[in-house]
Amino acid sequence: MDIKEFRIATIKKSQKEGKLYRFWDKISRYWYHFSRNKLSVLGMLIVGLVIVLAILAPYITPYPKHAGPFVDFVNSNQSPSVKYWLGTDEIGRDILTRIIFAFRGALIMSIVVLAIAVPVGTLLGLLAGFYYKKIIDTIIMRISDVFLSIPSLVLALSIAAVLKPNLMNAMIAVTVMWWPWYTRLVYGMASSIRNEYFVIAADLTGASKFHIIFREILPNCLSPVFTKMALDVGWVLIISASLSFVGLGEQQPTPSLGQMVANGSRYLPELWWMCVFPALAIIITILGFNLLGDGIRDMLQSSR
Amino acid sequence: MNNKILLEIKDLHVWYRVYGGYLKVLNGIYLMVREGERVGLVGEAGCGKTTTMKSILQILPPGDFHIPQGQIFYKGQDVLKMSFKELQRLRSREIAMIFQDPTAALNPVFIIGTQIGDVIKYSSAFEENVHQEKIKTLSTKALKEVSLPDPERMLINYPFQLSGGMRQRVCIAMAISSPRNLLLADEPGTSLDVTIQDQIHRLLNELVEKRNTAIILITHSLGVAREMTDRIYVMYAGTIIETATAEVLFKNPVHPYTKGLLASIPKISGGGIAKGISGKLPSYLNPPSGCRFQPRCEQESPICSEEPPQLLEIEKDHLVACYLTKG
Amino acid sequence: MEQVTNNEILKIEKLKKYFHIGKDKQGPIYVRAVDGVDLNIKYGETLGLVGESGSGKSTIAYTVVGMYRPTSGQILFKGKNIGMEASKRPLSIKKEIQIVFQDPGSSLNPRQTIEQILALPFRIHTQMPKRQFREKMVELLEKVELSADYLYKSPPSIGGGEKQMVAVARAMASNPSLIVLDEPTSALDVSVQAKIINKLMDLQKEMHLTYLFITHDLSLMRNVANRIAIMYLGKICEVAEAVTFFEKPLHPYTQMLISSVPVITEEEKKLKPKKVISTGEIPSPVNIPPGCSFHLRCPYKMSICSKVDPEMIEVSSGHIVRCHLFAKLENKKTRKE
Repeated sequence: MDIKEFRIATIKKSQKEGKLYRFWDKISRYWYHFSRNKLSVLGMLIVGLVIVLAILAPYITPYPKHAGPFVDFVNSNQSPSVKYWLGTDEIGRDILTRIIFAFRGALIMSIVVLAIAVPVGTLLGLLAGFYYKKIIDTIIMRISDVFLSIPSLVLALSIAAVLKPNLMNAMIAVTVMWWPWYTRLVYGMASSIRNEYFVIAADLTGASKFHIIFREILPNCLSPVFTKMALDVGWVLIISASLSFVGLGEQQPTPSLGQMVANGSRYLPELWWMCVFPALAIIITILGFNLLGDGIRDMLQSSR
Repeated sequence: MNNKILLEIKDLHVWYRVYGGYLKVLNGIYLMVREGERVGLVGEAGCGKTTTMKSILQILPPGDFHIPQGQIFYKGQDVLKMSFKELQRLRSREIAMIFQDPTAALNPVFIIGTQIGDVIKYSSAFEENVHQEKIKTLSTKALKEVSLPDPERMLINYPFQLSGGMRQRVCIAMAISSPRNLLLADEPGTSLDVTIQDQIHRLLNELVEKRNTAIILITHSLGVAREMTDRIYVMYAGTIIETATAEVLFKNPVHPYTKGLLASIPKISGGGIAKGISGKLPSYLNPPSGCRFQPRCEQESPICSEEPPQLLEIEKDHLVACYLTKG
Repeated sequence: MEQVTNNEILKIEKLKKYFHIGKDKQGPIYVRAVDGVDLNIKYGETLGLVGESGSGKSTIAYTVVGMYRPTSGQILFKGKNIGMEASKRPLSIKKEIQIVFQDPGSSLNPRQTIEQILALPFRIHTQMPKRQFREKMVELLEKVELSADYLYKSPPSIGGGEKQMVAVARAMASNPSLIVLDEPTSALDVSVQAKIINKLMDLQKEMHLTYLFITHDLSLMRNVANRIAIMYLGKICEVAEAVTFFEKPLHPYTQMLISSVPVITEEEKKLKPKKVISTGEIPSPVNIPPGCSFHLRCPYKMSICSKVDPEMIEVSSGHIVRCHLFAKLENKKTRKE
């Protein structure tokens, strides 16, 4: 083996070992900055708990059957007790079980909405920012302006009311009004990053537009996108809870948090547990995502 | 020139907490300023000059900084042990700082008049309350002192309406608006053109002489230090490695770093540029035990990596921290 | 003057670059960044371009490299017209002219590794298969005295001087003939600057490069450039060989700049012109004074200076000045002939 090959072999070897080391080092750094604020860790724990509960719902809830068609008038309207930790509703279903199953619908909703809205919005924002002050910019941004000017809940309600009320259509409604926020966010960043010297250098040396948009500009736009995603899970939750509060989401007997709050509100204040616990579940979950989002923002900012 | 000692820093250590431990930024700083003296603090980026200045006024970001040992004596009192009220008095009546970037030092949403007015108002707050009229007069006077044209009009301008040189003059005006004993100037004029920088430096010189104010001028340029200061401290990686009067330092530099630095400076008389100093700044996270310059030093002796050298006097007013200077 | 001679790699003729920034009652307002500049650079030399902010030196650099399109005038590179934006230039020209920017922090993508940054010019300008890249990149890094493991680092974790070396390596990757250096060491310390400048000089000899070197630091210029051109408010004031520039500065602005350089040796102090103290602020390139643009700050102002813009006059071989003080010399010369 001559010197050149030896050098290259050494580099390859250290690259593999190096990769693992670098990866681990990166993770530890991120964790250090994330965990500086204890509240972020709390947020992470709440979110983790909600996710685990949602995934393992059928196996860990005391009364999994109560999440489906089930009636037990004998045990209806029970206040919280050892048997039913959070009480039962007016047809005898365990509130705790239904809340945990409701997490499923909520999380699926958030995941699907964001999985579609974020890439679409980001892509449009990148294009508009790259072709700043050209026709594409105007078209994309004015369209998103239209969507942004309609109050989000009104838009979601109208779409959901036109289509049949079910989970899928609620998701469509929310997705349609969600993407412009990302477009605007990424547009702001992309239009200023495209003037940075490293982008100019790539352009001067002959890089293709694809390379500049996706390899130079996009990686520098991602931090606020990730932060916003974490916070948005909370927002989607509220919107979807609002939709199901007025009956335009998951339909009975599948539990959904908003619907449980709406239902339970009719029995206030005597049978308070039917409304209060689902509401608390909403509040705590959203709080968790917000704290997590703050932590992600701190983590990404400090590591620059 | 045997005036009283105004400021004396003794064995100052400052640590900064980061991921992985502590950055041991300052490793035993010794500095002394007499009344009315012009002192230069010269060092390259990252050597800790701004940290030293900020420690004097105790304006380091709270929480992340830690001072394990050291004393800063101002007029005999230890700044590190001062109460909040005493510190406020120090900052508003005794010592003023002029920052490096005048654009960042001025609040963009307030007019100049408000900003200078605030400085005057709060600096007198301890003694007597100052009337609006008097504040205006004092502000105008301060702006006149820094040779700004049309001071009355300047008072109602916003910072963005001024050029870089003018903004720096405004910052200087704020610093001298009330009588001070010590000015800390952190690379004033670095972000400006060289002719404007020249004007700013001459302005500072005039002011300092007229009012018998002491000044610590931080710079990374030895040329500036030579023209603007009487005594110079050379700093490297958080340590003072050499100090002497300006004349002596340039005639007889002793420390290898000082010599290397002087050789790297291009001269308008030609001669090319020396090779620079090999290596780079040591990591502050795991600084070398012993002399911090040792990894880059061409000479070596076993003791260099064991104990950091102390500042020793090798001739009158000329101190060096190096083991290899004796004989 | 003459046509493109064989030893000129770059020839700039009557270059003007105006930026339109709005209108007022009299018509559109322009920033006259570059206002009629003639310049040429010979193969293998380092031409220094000196000036303060607003002088137009960076604008010239950016126009040569293709960031701006000239408002009028010509730029000839190896005889070919390149007075257009980079996107319209052929790839072969883009390969030949490269630039190193002033701020190392923003000239490298913070979210990429050095390997990715250096791979770009290789991918575009060579037909090498990807496997060979790494070898070439290591060679390139060694040329700028950085070890191979820098490939996996990313810009935020390395120092300013090292970042600038990476920028230089990137510029060299496509094997160019002309490199524009826009204040490459202004943001760096003196000892780091020394290292980089020495490396640049070595590489120039090794790879037969021509440099257009822009800086405001006169003492650096003296030791780096073969010829120096000084600019004020978009026009060239004086061009001379480096030694002549400092020993016999003719233009008052040149003398003013040299007298404000802080120096440390007695030798240098003697070289400085006496007492041309700089006064006043630099006027903005939107409001250029009539006549000679420097007359408001000039200690030798004559009545003609506020009315007529002086022509470029060749005082001696290779030494040209644009100043009314020397017009008499030119008149004397023509009268003799």
